[in-house]
Amino acid sequence: MKLTLSMLKDYVETNLDAQAIANHLTMTGFELEEITEVEGEPVLDINIMANRGDGASVLGLSRELLAKDPSSRPTELYTRATNRFPASDAHNRDIWAKTSVEIQTASCTRYAARVFENLHNGPSPEWLQRRLRQIGQRPISLLVDLTNYVMFEVGQPLHAFDLNTLAGERIIVRQAEAGEKLTTLDGTTHELQPHHMVIADADHAIALAGIMGGEPTEVSESTTRCLLESAHFVNTSVRRTRKELGLFTEASYRFERSVDPEGVVASLNRFTELYTEITGEKPVGGVIDVYPTAPQTHELTVFIRRASTLLGMDITVEQAQSYLENLGFTILGISPDSIEVQTPTWRIDILREEDLIEEIGRVHGYEKIPEALPIGSTPIGGPQGFELLTDQIREAALRSGFDQVVSHSLRDLHPLDSDFLSPSLGRGGGGVDDQQPSRIRVRQPHSPEMAYLRNSILPSLTDAQRKNNLDNIHIFEIGRIHSSEGEFTQIAFLSNGTFEEQSWRPTDQSTADFFTLKGTLEQIAHSVNLPIAFKRHTSDPRFHPTRCAKVILGNQDVGLIGQIHPLVAESSSLPATTVLAELTLDPLKHEVTGIPTYHSISRNPASRRDIAILIKKDVPFAEIEATILTAGGPDLERHWLFDVYEGKGVPDGFHSLAIALQFRRMNANLKDEESNALRDQVVTALTSLGATLR
Amino acid sequence: MEQVTAVQTEAITAINAARSTDDLRVVELEFLGKSGKLSGLMKGIGALPNDQKPLFGAAVNQAKSQVEALLNQRIQDLKGGELNRQFETERIDITLPGRAPRYGREHVLQLTTNKIKRTLGSMGFVYQESPELEHFRYNFDALNYPPDHPAMDEQDTFYVEDDLVLRTQCTALQGRVFETQKPPLRVFTVGRTFRNEAVDRTHNHTFHQVDCFMIDRGISMAHLKGTLGEFARAMFGPEVNVRFRPDFFPFVEPGVDYAISTPKLFNGKWVELGGAGLIHPNILERYGIDTREFSGFAFGLGVERIPMMAYGIDDLRHFFDNDFRFLSQFA
Repeated sequence: MKLTLSMLKDYVETNLDAQAIANHLTMTGFELEEITEVEGEPVLDINIMANRGDGASVLGLSRELLAKDPSSRPTELYTRATNRFPASDAHNRDIWAKTSVEIQTASCTRYAARVFENLHNGPSPEWLQRRLRQIGQRPISLLVDLTNYVMFEVGQPLHAFDLNTLAGERIIVRQAEAGEKLTTLDGTTHELQPHHMVIADADHAIALAGIMGGEPTEVSESTTRCLLESAHFVNTSVRRTRKELGLFTEASYRFERSVDPEGVVASLNRFTELYTEITGEKPVGGVIDVYPTAPQTHELTVFIRRASTLLGMDITVEQAQSYLENLGFTILGISPDSIEVQTPTWRIDILREEDLIEEIGRVHGYEKIPEALPIGSTPIGGPQGFELLTDQIREAALRSGFDQVVSHSLRDLHPLDSDFLSPSLGRGGGGVDDQQPSRIRVRQPHSPEMAYLRNSILPSLTDAQRKNNLDNIHIFEIGRIHSSEGEFTQIAFLSNGTFEEQSWRPTDQSTADFFTLKGTLEQIAHSVNLPIAFKRHTSDPRFHPTRCAKVILGNQDVGLIGQIHPLVAESSSLPATTVLAELTLDPLKHEVTGIPTYHSISRNPASRRDIAILIKKDVPFAEIEATILTAGGPDLERHWLFDVYEGKGVPDGFHSLAIALQFRRMNANLKDEESNALRDQVVTALTSLGATLR
Repeated sequence: MEQVTAVQTEAITAINAARSTDDLRVVELEFLGKSGKLSGLMKGIGALPNDQKPLFGAAVNQAKSQVEALLNQRIQDLKGGELNRQFETERIDITLPGRAPRYGREHVLQLTTNKIKRTLGSMGFVYQESPELEHFRYNFDALNYPPDHPAMDEQDTFYVEDDLVLRTQCTALQGRVFETQKPPLRVFTVGRTFRNEAVDRTHNHTFHQVDCFMIDRGISMAHLKGTLGEFARAMFGPEVNVRFRPDFFPFVEPGVDYAISTPKLFNGKWVELGGAGLIHPNILERYGIDTREFSGFAFGLGVERIPMMAYGIDDLRHFFDNDFRFLSQFA
C-alpha cells in the first residue's frame, strides 16, 4: 500500500519526517517496504499484514500512527472520517426515483449507491492526478480517479457505472448463471460459474463483485449519468473468484483482507464531498443503502494483570485504556484490574482477550520487553533415543572419511530408485501413482524433474558424483525417503576411487570396492554397538548380481550393499567400479542398542602362528572363520586374513588363503609347543572343510 | 717406555689422519682393541723386571686413556659434521602439499544443525522429529489456520492427497506433541519444509527450518525474547541484540517477526530472522491445555538463513547443489 507524506498529513498533524513515520508504522506491525521520492515528495510503501485489511488506507495507517506516537495529533479530516463523513442529504429519498438495488446473495452483506447526473467526466484536477501518479496509479477521468483516490484514502473500493448503459437502470447483486459471460475492463471475457458473485443490471452481469467492473458499463468522457457503488462482500468469495479467474486488483486486495462494513456509506459521502469541491455540482439527493447483514463486533474483557504477565512487561489500566481507545475500541467498562471493550467494525481479527493483549503490547512497545530466561525444571535436552542413534551413525560415517551431502527429496524417477519401473506415458494425479504403484507423486509439481518423492537416496548421490566429476569420491547422505509404505530415515553411501586425493607421491593406495564399503559399515555398526552381518543377495537389478549383499544390523534387515550393476552404470554414465549401500534405519527403533562388553586384558605375551591353506573358492570365508573360531577356542585372541592368492601353483577352482592366528592366554605364558598344538587344532578343523595346508 | 711413547704417537697420528668416524673405528680397533697395538704392549710386561712392571703398566694405561680421550673427541667432532651432511641430503621442501588421510566433511547445514541442537538441547529443549509428508490437519488446522487460508492453496503448498501435504512448516510438530505429551514441555525440531515456489537466489521449493516451542506456567514474551536472545547469540556472537516487530501468523498471539543486529555483522542493521510469539490460545484449548494455567511460546526460522547471514552466502540454491567447491569452504 502506497501513500504520500502529504496524504498522511491530511489526516495527521505531525512534525515527523517520512522515515520517522515509517519507523512508527513498522513497529505497529505495518512494515515499511521502502520510501521513494516521487515528484518531489516522499512516498511510503507499506506492507499490510494478511489479517489487517483496515491498514490498507491512509485513514487506517493514520489511526495506527496516532495510537503509537503521542506527538502526532488528528486533523479535522481525521475526526470527520471517524464520524463517517456525515452527509446533509442522508434522509433525502430522491435517488429512489432514479434506480434501485436488490441483493440476492448472502456473499454481499451491504450495497450502497449514489447517483450523479449532469456530469462532465473530464480530466481530474492536477492535485488529484499528481497524487495518483505518486502512488503508482494512472489518472483516467474525474469519476475513475475519485473512486481510486477515495479507496486509497479510506480503504473502501468504489465503482462507477454509466447509469445509461444499465438495462432497467437498476442493480442486482447475485451469483452468476452457469456459462454467463462478462467482459471485464481489462478486455478479457470470462465464462462464469454459479459460485462467482456478480453485479448485474436487469439483464446481464455487469461486474465481478469486489474485483473488476465490466467493459460495456464503464464510465467514459461521454458519461452524463453515473451510479456509484460502495459495497461489502464476503472475503472468501472474492478470493476464490479472483484466483480462479486470475485477476488481481486493488479492490480485490482489500476485500480479501476485509473492509469495514460501516465505512460503505461514509466512502460514498467522502467521494461526494470531493466531487462537489472539485465541480461545484451535487449528486441526486440521498443514498440507497441495502444492509441485510449486521456487522460483527465482540464484547471482550482484558485483565491487566494477565496482559502484563503474558507480555512480560508492566502495563497500567490507564495505559491499556488509552491504547485501546486510540485504536477505536469502545470502552464499555473499567475496573481496577480489567477493561471491557467493544471491538470496532473494521477489526474482525479481534476475537478474544489475547488479541486485545497484543493490541496493548504493540502500542506500548515490544522494545520495552526485557529478556528473561524461563525458569522451572527442564528435561534432558537434545536428541534422545532413535534421533540420538541416527546422529551417532551419521557421525561414524563422517569419521570413516565419507563426505556428507544434502539433496532434494523431490526429483524425477531414476534407475537407482528402489523397485524402479521405467516411467510410462500418461501420469496420474497426486498420491500413489498408477504407473509407479510404490511411489509418491505430488499433484502439481513445478516441473517433471521434481514430481516424485525419492524412495532411495542413491540417485541423488550419483548426481553429486557426476556434478563434481571426481575420480575419487566417497559420500553419504542421511535423510527421509518416501514410498506407499510410509516415510523412513535412510543413510546411503557411494564410494569410488582411491581414498587419498590425487597424490604427488606415488603410493599403492587402496581403492574403493565392495570390501572397503563393507568395512565402513562394520566400523559404523561397531561404533553404535550393534552386530552387523551380510547375506548374499542377487535379485536387485541396481546391483552387480554376484557382488551384492543384504545388510543385517542388530537383528534387522536394513538394506543393501554392492557394486553398481554394469548396465545401470552405463545408462547413468557412472564408473562401473562404483560401490553403493542404502540402509533404512527405522527398524533400529525396535533394536536395543548394545552396551560394549568388557574383557580383561591379558598381561602375558602373545604368540603368532601363520597358516596358508588351499581351499575351494566356493567355500565362503565366513564358514572358514567360524571353524577357526571354534577350533581356536578361548586362547585364540585374534585372527586375520593377510593374503588371498590364486594362479600359478594353485589348482583351478581353488585359492590359497594366508591367515594369521594370534594366541594369548590369560595369566599364563603359552609355551611354543602349546601354541603349535593350538595351530594344529585349527588346521585339523579346517581340513574338514576340504582345506589342505600349503 | 719409548716403545709406549712411540705407539701412542703412532695412534695420535692415525687419529689425526682419520677423515670419518668409520676411519676412527678402524683406528680404535688397531690400537685399543683387545689385540690392538696399545693393548698388545701389555703382553711384553712379563719380560720386564719386577720393579718396572707397575711403572710400565701405568704408562700403558695412561697412554690408552689419552688415546681414548682423543679418539672420542675426534668422533664427536666428525659425527657433528657427518650428521650435518646427512641432514643436507635428507632436506625436504616443506612447502610441498600435505597428504591428508581422508576426513569426512560435514555439510554446512549439518554444521549449523549441530550448533542449533547443542544450543537448544543445553537449554533443556528435547529434540523430536515429525514427518515431512504431513496430514493437512497437523500442518494447518492444528495451527489455527482459518479454513480457506491462502497458504493452503495448491499454488503455495505441495499436495499429495487432499489430506497429505509436504509440510510447509516444521511447526506441524506441535499438534503431534500436544496430542501425546502434557505440559510443561520444551521441544524443538529441525527438518525440511516445502513450498510450491519458483527457485531463484533467495527462494527454493525446499529449505530447512528449526522450530522451537515451550509451554509452562507463566511463560511470557520476555521468556521468548530471552530464549531467542541466547539462541541468536550462540549462532552469531555475544553482541547480538533481538528486536520484536508485530506480525501475523495464525499460530501465535501476540505474533512477532524478530530481527537481530550486531555491531560486527550486517553494518549494525536489523536483519529479520523469522516468526515467533506466544502459542495461540485456540491451539492450547484445542488440545485441552488450560490457558489460565499454562502459556507457551514458539519460534521458527530458516536454517539456511544462519550460514547465509554469518558467512555472507548469497545464493540459497548452493545448499542442495552438493558442489564440493561450495561445501569444502565450511568443513
